[in-house]
Order: sequence, then C-alpha cells, then structure tokens
Amino acid sequence: MTKRIASIVALLLVVCMVLPMASCGKVKVEEFVGEYTYNDSVVTMSSNWNPHTYQTTDESYPIDFLTSGLYTFIYNDELNPVEGKDPYKGYVIRPEMAAEMPVDVTEKIKAEHPEFNIPESATSGYAYVIKLNKDATWQNGVKINADTYVYSMKALLDPKMDNYRATDYFDGSFAIANAKNYYHQGTIAYTENMLQNKYAFADLKKGADGVYTDANGNPMGIAVNFALQEWLSGNTLKDYVDAYGAQYFNLEKWDALLALADANGIAPLTDESYGYLVSVISTTAWGETADDAFNYFAEGYAYADNYDFANVGIMKTGEYEITIVLGKALAGFNLLYNLSGNWIVYEELYEAGKTKVGDTDAWTNNYNSSVETTMSYGPYKLVEYQQDKSMKFVKNENWFGYTDGKHIYTDPSDGKTYPMYQTTAINCQVVAEADTRKLMFLQGQLMGYGLQTDDYAEYRDSEYCYVTPSETIFFFIFNGYLDAIQKREAADTFDKSKLDLETLTLVSFRKAVAVTYDKEALCTAVSPARSGGYGLIGTNYIYDPESGAQYRDTDQAKKALCEFYSVDVSKYASLDEAVDSITGYDPVAAKELYKKAFDEALAAGYITDNDKDGKSDQAIEIIYASSASSAFITKTLDYLNEKMAEVVAGTPFEGKIKFVESAPLGNEWSNEIKAGNADTVLGGWSGSALDPFGLTDLYTNPSYQYDAKWFNASTVDLTLDVNVAKIGEAKNVQTITMNLKQWSDALNGATVEVNGTEYCFGDGIADVDTRLNILAAIETKVLMTYDYIPMLQDGSMALLSQQVYYVVEEYNPIMGRGGIRYMKYNYDDTAWAAYVAENNNELKY
Amino acid sequence: MVKYALQRTALMLFTLFIITLMCFVLIRMLPLAPLPIGDPHTAVIEARREALGYNKPYLVQFGIFLRDVFTKWDWGICDSAKYYGKDVAQLFTSKLPASMIVNLYSIIFSIPIGIALGIFAALKKNTWIDHTISTLVMVCISVPSFVYAFLIQYILCFKLNLFPLVMKGGTDWFSWPMFVSMMPAVLSLAFGTIAGFTRTTRAELTEVLTSEFMLLARTKGLTKRQATVRHAMKNCMVVVLPSIFGSFIGILSGSLIIEKIFSIPGVGELYLYSINALDYPLFILLTVFYTAIGLAAGIVVDVSYGFIDPRIRMGSKK
Repeated sequence: MTKRIASIVALLLVVCMVLPMASCGKVKVEEFVGEYTYNDSVVTMSSNWNPHTYQTTDESYPIDFLTSGLYTFIYNDELNPVEGKDPYKGYVIRPEMAAEMPVDVTEKIKAEHPEFNIPESATSGYAYVIKLNKDATWQNGVKINADTYVYSMKALLDPKMDNYRATDYFDGSFAIANAKNYYHQGTIAYTENMLQNKYAFADLKKGADGVYTDANGNPMGIAVNFALQEWLSGNTLKDYVDAYGAQYFNLEKWDALLALADANGIAPLTDESYGYLVSVISTTAWGETADDAFNYFAEGYAYADNYDFANVGIMKTGEYEITIVLGKALAGFNLLYNLSGNWIVYEELYEAGKTKVGDTDAWTNNYNSSVETTMSYGPYKLVEYQQDKSMKFVKNENWFGYTDGKHIYTDPSDGKTYPMYQTTAINCQVVAEADTRKLMFLQGQLMGYGLQTDDYAEYRDSEYCYVTPSETIFFFIFNGYLDAIQKREAADTFDKSKLDLETLTLVSFRKAVAVTYDKEALCTAVSPARSGGYGLIGTNYIYDPESGAQYRDTDQAKKALCEFYSVDVSKYASLDEAVDSITGYDPVAAKELYKKAFDEALAAGYITDNDKDGKSDQAIEIIYASSASSAFITKTLDYLNEKMAEVVAGTPFEGKIKFVESAPLGNEWSNEIKAGNADTVLGGWSGSALDPFGLTDLYTNPSYQYDAKWFNASTVDLTLDVNVAKIGEAKNVQTITMNLKQWSDALNGATVEVNGTEYCFGDGIADVDTRLNILAAIETKVLMTYDYIPMLQDGSMALLSQQVYYVVEEYNPIMGRGGIRYMKYNYDDTAWAAYVAENNNELKY
Repeated sequence: MVKYALQRTALMLFTLFIITLMCFVLIRMLPLAPLPIGDPHTAVIEARREALGYNKPYLVQFGIFLRDVFTKWDWGICDSAKYYGKDVAQLFTSKLPASMIVNLYSIIFSIPIGIALGIFAALKKNTWIDHTISTLVMVCISVPSFVYAFLIQYILCFKLNLFPLVMKGGTDWFSWPMFVSMMPAVLSLAFGTIAGFTRTTRAELTEVLTSEFMLLARTKGLTKRQATVRHAMKNCMVVVLPSIFGSFIGILSGSLIIEKIFSIPGVGELYLYSINALDYPLFILLTVFYTAIGLAAGIVVDVSYGFIDPRIRMGSKK
C-alpha cells in the first residue's frame, strides 16, 4: 500500500514537472476585461473614404480602421530583450491579409506569359505568388478570396471610373505590368518634352491631320495648361500668363491658343498652335524666342483602345492565391512596403454605388461614404456616421486577427504578453475649436490634444507631452545672387551711401550668420514644438528600411555636421560628444567672422569706412521674403534682430545688420528668393522618410534649387574614395572626381559616365556604406556654400491622456508610436469616468 | 386680408425670381473654381459643368437650372473638396435640423424672460431696477454672442460641469441628453435675443403706459394691474408679437461661430464655406433659400399685424 501511494505520488510529481515544460512553447496571453473607448477628435471630417479615391488625411482616417494590408509592420520582439524591459527598437514585416511572404516566380511567368514583357535577362523581382489568408472575411462574414483581389484591381484601374489611387499601382516603383495600358486605354497621355526626348521643332514630322509627331509617330502637343516640372518648376504656362499677363507676354494670340487646349491642358502641335505659342512667349520681358518653344512641347503616347484586362499583371492562380506581375523589378522591403496597403472593395456595394454623370462619360461612386455603403475587413467596423459631426467604430468581430493568435505583443513595461487592439470602440467627433478640444481633453473626453502656441509654456515639460518630429528641416536660404543684388543697388531708390547688400554674398559673412544663433533657443522663443535643425537632412530619415537605421545616427552624418560647424572632433572623447556640443551658437567665432567679412567687403568696395572709425558706413538690411504677415514671422524677426545685435556688438557691423520683412509676396516668395529679389526666408524641403538619398536632387538640380542662379552644382567638383563594386562583388575602392550633380544623379540610380567609365550608386546597386559616404559628402559640400543655414527641425507636440500610454514612447517614422494596435489603457471606461470625477472633472497635465 | 396675402405672395415670388436670376447670372459670370490638373475629380466636375450648360448662354443655363429644380428637385452636386459629390439639397437639409432646434430653444427660452424683464423695467421706469435692466440689455446687445459662448463653455460646462462641452452626436433631436447638450449654445444665443425682446417691450410698454387712454382707464376705477394687463399689454403686443414671428424665421439660419464652438453640425458655416470654396451650386441653393425665407418673413410679419390688431387693415381700399 505504501509502495502504491509512493508510486502515485511519484507519478503526480512527474506530471507536475512535465506539464509546465509542455506548455513552455505556448505564450500566456493576458486578457482584457471591460470597455476601452478611444475618444478622438478631428477638425474636418471626411465625407468619403473610398480606398480607390481617397486623397486627404481626413479621407484616409477611417481607412486605417476598416482595412488590413497584405503585409503589415509590427514591433520586432526579437530586438526587444524583455528581461531588461527595454523598449522596442525595430520592426518586422509579416503577412496579414496574405498567408505567407511572396514567392518570386519571375522565371516561370517569363516563360509562360510573354504578354507581360519581362526582360529576357531578368531572373527575379518581376513576378510573385501571394498566398492569401483564408480566414479573411468582410464584416458580414463573406470570404475574401482571389476573385476579390482581381475584381477590385479591375475596378480600381477602370478607365471610366478615373480613380485617384489608380496611379499608385503603375506610376511609382510598384508598377503592375500593363496596368497603365489598361487605365489609359483609348487615350493619349502626355509627358513633358524636356523630361523625355527633348525634341526640337525641326525634329518633328507633320502628319496628315496637321498634327506633328515624334520619331516614333507619337503625337506632340503644346503644354498650355499642363504642369511642366522641368521647364516651369511644376507650374503651367497658363499659371504664368494669368499671373503676369501683358507685363511679360504677348496676349494677342493667347485666347486662341487656350481655346485649342483639351481637358489635359494640351493643345495639339500644329502650325497654327505653334505660331500662337511663339507669339505669346516671344517678348523681351519674358526673354524667349521661337528657339525656346520646344520647352513647352509635350510628347503624347497613344494607348491602344479596348485593352484586355487579362494582360494586366494580376492573376487568380488559386482560390486563395494571386500572382502579381510587375513592369519594373521590385523586391525586399520596398515590395512589402508597397503591399502594406490594400485595394479590395466589396463588389456588391461598389457596383451599386456607381452613378453616371448626366449624359457625359464621367462616373462617380458613393462606396464608403456612409454606414450603409461601407464594408470593413479590418479590425474595426463603422457603426455610426453623422456628416460633420461624428463617426463611431466598434470591433469587427469577424476580423481574423482577434482569433489567429498572431496579434499579440509583449509589453516592455511589465514583460507580459497582451493581445493587440485593446481598444473596443473608437469615437471620433468634429471639434473645430482648439480651445474646446483643450477643455474636453482636460475633462478626460479626448485621448490627445495637439498643443497650440499658447500652451507650450504650460505643458511642454509635462510627462504626458510627446514630441513628434517630421521630415522637414527649415533653413535660412541666403541670397548669393550678386548680379541681382547689384541691380537692386543700382536702383534710384537705393541709397548706397547708407545701405549695402553685396556683403551678403561673402562666405565669411554667411558663415558668421551660421554661428550667430543658438538653434534650440530660437525654437524655444519662436516655435517650441520644433527643435534645432543642424543639417540639411532631418532626424527622421531612415537610410535602411530593413533595420530602421536613421541617417543622422551614422558616423558619416555626424562627421558632416562637425565639419560644417568647425568642431574639432579630436577634442572630444567621442564623435557623439562632438556632435552633442553643437548648438549653432559661437559668438567668439561669429565676431571674428564679421570682422573678416568687413575687411573683405571693404576690399571689394561693397562698403566704405570713410570716417575711419573701423565700422561700416552702410547698414545691411536683409529682406525676409514674407508670403503674408503673421505673428510667427514677427516673432522670428524680432528674435533674429535681438540676437544679431548682441553678437555684432563690438564688431564693425555693430548696429548695422537688420532683418526686415518684405511686403506680402503670397506664393511668389520662392520666385523672389530664386531671383535674388529677396535675401532670406525660412524654407524647407521634405521627402520620403525612407529615402534620404533622394534629397540631394533638391540641392543640385536647378529645377528645384533655390540657389540655382548663383550655385551651379554641375561646376562644383567633389573627389571621393568610394567602393565602386556592386553589391555581391569584391570591394574595389577608387578615387573618383565628379561634379555634385553627377554624384547626386549616380546616388539616385542614374548611370553617370566620367572619363569613359560608367558609375551608378543607386539603391540595390552600391552598398549602403558607400551610399552614405556619398550622401554625407554632398550634404557637407552644399552646407559649405552657406546658401542654406539649417535652423529648425519641424515637429509637433501633443498631450496624451492619462487613460492610456504608449508601449513604445520613442517615435519611429515607420511605426509612429504603435498606433491603435499597441495603445494600452490604464483605466477602462468605467474606471476612467470615476477617476475623472474624483479629480473634479479637471485633470492636471 | 386674404386678397392682400395673395398679392404679397405673388409679389414675393416675383421678387424671389428676380433675385435668383440676378444671383445666378452674377455667380455664373464669376471665374469658375480652378480644378487641379491630373485630379480625376477634375474630369467629373468638368462633365457636370458641361451637363449644366456652363458653356451655354446665361439664360440657357438658368433655364437648365430651373428645369432641374422643378422637374427633379435637383439643385446640383457639391464640387468642392470637403463635400465633393454630395447632393447640395440633401446636404443642406441634413444640416438644417440642428440649427433650427438650437435656435428654436433659444427663442422659446428668450421670449418669456425678455418680455418679463421688459415689463418689469417699464413698470419700474427710472428706478434703479429699470436702470440695471437697461444697462444689462445694452451690455447683452453690445457683446457678441461668441463671447458668451466662451464664458458659458468655460464656467458652466468646464468648471461647474453642468452641461457637456459640445453638442451630443446623433439625430435624436428631442431626447433629454440632446436637449441638455444643446443648452450651452442655446444660452449663448439667448442673451442677445432676451435683450432685444426686453428693449422692445420696455420701450412700447413705457409709451403705452404714459398714454391718455391709460389715464382714462385708471380714472374709470381700474387698478394699475388691471389697466396694465387689459389695456397696456394688448397695445404693447402689437409691436412685440410681430418681432417674435420675425425671430422664428431666424431659426432657420445658423450661427457660424456658436456652431463651431459647440460642434453643432448645422448650416452656420455652409454659406461662408460655399463662398470660400467657390462651390456655386451650394451657394445658389443657400441664396435662394434664405432669400425666400427673408421675403416670407416680411409677409408673415405684415399679415400678423392685421390679426393682432383689428384696427390695422393693410392694403384695404375701402
């Protein structure tokens, strides 16, 4: 008996030991109990959120809740050692509406489907099989399968619907094979002649109908009301004629030319229209002749009519499998990134929503414009919508993510695992007044409140205040266009004995200005939500999307800043310390530079010192190009003048330098800067956060440059030791000299020929380190012109409700702070109401 | 009276037609809202414009407009970004109830208080009570309603937590929670209206109370209360009641700022929006509607004089 009891006890012990071991592989997921409502506000509420037509952020707002991408980004648990409870640092992409990662079938499709024209040399990157998630359904439980995807793509590309989002699938890097032919079927699409073949009028042939065609027989047109990126910086000829009229143009034939333009703003190129064009632009004021007319040409491409959708690169290859064929090779992160959105629509509602406009060929669709016309396949569904008032979402109980066991994460704050989407409902209402939003937030009725100017002093140091940087760096653009400045000085109204502008063009002077201002102090004074800007490329730019690594964190970028701000790295323990020491403010260096500028200006005859008091006789009034007066500009200029006065005290320019606001220039401010008619402005560029390399074009391409009139990147050489080997080849470092424009072009994928050798350092061709070296070198070279002096890193500040917290506090350009998926609640709705009541309905932040 | 009312109505319709024609032609003479190049909306809007005859003579366009309105009740489609593709008539009618109900509550709230204060001030003429009420009336009339709105929102809604900060969502216009959520806006609008009624009532009643027939009534032996209620009030109402009718017409227009502060999904911002966004179909609908309302209000007020005071026989050619 004792033996038996002992055996049973032993068996029980074994069971007790084995069971926990057996369950080791299964993570314990915590459960949420209660209601968690996310209360949000918008200034304007969209009236339509059709995935095929949305344009604004208001319109895309509901889409985030109602849809799921084929692939999705999540925080990377592997990079998060929960033991130490460190926050997440990285992200990974995983299938969502897809069941698996895409499988490259380029070779197979190339052999079986010649209609897609996959290049003979291509072995990968053109065709992918995507297995679909079989659990995916619409909110009503109807299955989503391959037919849904194919139908929806056909609907998206339907030429008669003219959907705004159609171009996302053929004009960018993600281009579905032949999608463009289907979308444009039976039409002529035009591109700017200057961007294409740059045909002169003599190169063209006149057709039987009198319309000129190019060497390939494509019709040519005149871009009357068609944006010309290369020639008119994205404006149209009509824009200029409307703005300047007879001041610059001969308007005698203008109306006749305008009347010939079609809906695209293109007039067919005939002898008659050519004559009208030459007449309009051939004026002394506009400075062009018939020889310049070809700059206004647009090259047409006639798309075949009745194009068969079977030739478009999306195919059903199984009940839950589609094959996507691309017109341009794409792989890795960029492929998955482009598939992180979705295009599917619910056929029944979509078809029912179509309406023809009168007797015309135009159609509209009311899909996704009300509760009745909306069908979700995402984590939430729309249950209430009131125009200009509110919309409410609740959990979509048919969304696969709630039951597939994959939508979980570990909270670094406690190391426990939780299901994503703790939020049970989303209430969004229109609250246009910022003051009302603030009061609602303080009463616990909103989850967030974007700080207004008056709030910064009170809340910027709150533990609930979060700063979100954006891509834009605002810099001072400094006028270096000596010819324009001398013309301005030659005017009768300009008193050269009292004023001077030429000194502005001296590098020593501009360098002095660059170290006159403490960037952070400037932000605090004029725009507290922003932070100091130090380089041309902001802190948000990611150079390696796979890892999320940011450009400004690289050694190359740090060295670029040290060089620009003349920081001796050897004096610091590390490069990081050296960079951290940069404030942009060095009054001692600034005073020396102003003195140097004075000497140079005197020697050049820009200024005089007739009374020999060691001070300039002339004052420098720097005209700030103001689009319209605002409190921000007034505050900024006051601050600039105050600090300038402090720094130039005791120098030859004491009391002689002043920023002066121009008359309101409206949208002309950039043209005035480019023409050298105004001397400075806080301007900025922003690009894709995932492509810092593309920014170099903005500083080396005359079409975009603010300083194109006085800085020609094609004449400035840069010599670098770079690895010219392609990825996968043995390292081959060479010393290469190219001009800045060539370096920029090569960095962005163009093949550049130098001394008979071709170079290309584009994405996927050159290794990342080489590309970073080139980028940092271009940034340094452009900075050293002192045409651009970085001042502010754009950003915003917002308070987060005490009801919730971010699992990850650090902002990531891809993940943000996790969004609604990772939002964690400190209180459920009932507890929150009680907490707010305990605090007399007025919370302290 | 019936004949007079019919005459006025016919005249009103003719006036409305002329105003509509003028507005329509002037609006169509303005440059059209520029359409973004390459935006698919552009093609749809251009197609709509073509269908509406934008390239035809103005009178033909007006004919198409009248045909669409009278045969299909089609006032057009919004072309501007915010309401792109929405039927303007549906958009307007969907936003009308919120404005109407807030204004209605405001007037219902204001009438008894305004008249009571006016009577009280008139009866206590030239006393400190009258001076206090008159001063408050001046303040209320002089200070814009949005100032009250901010004060009410901050004090009553935020500090004292008596009402919600913004109007409740939904279309349960006559539910208790909706009523409570409308109160801050109602109060904000009411101050001015109360002051208006008070001033009118006080002025009329003061004048009537000093009339000779009131002296006669008192000498007949009536008490002051009897004389005031039976004689003075009746005469005073000849002016006050039409102004009440006029005020009711005003409930159809929204208040841009009040609606914005309290997030009321009303018509207040539509007019300004239609002008700023160059949304001509919306602008024409609003112009016609408010012109019609204004003209109708004139008739209602004029006709009401006859009902209130039988001595008034307007348009009589006896």
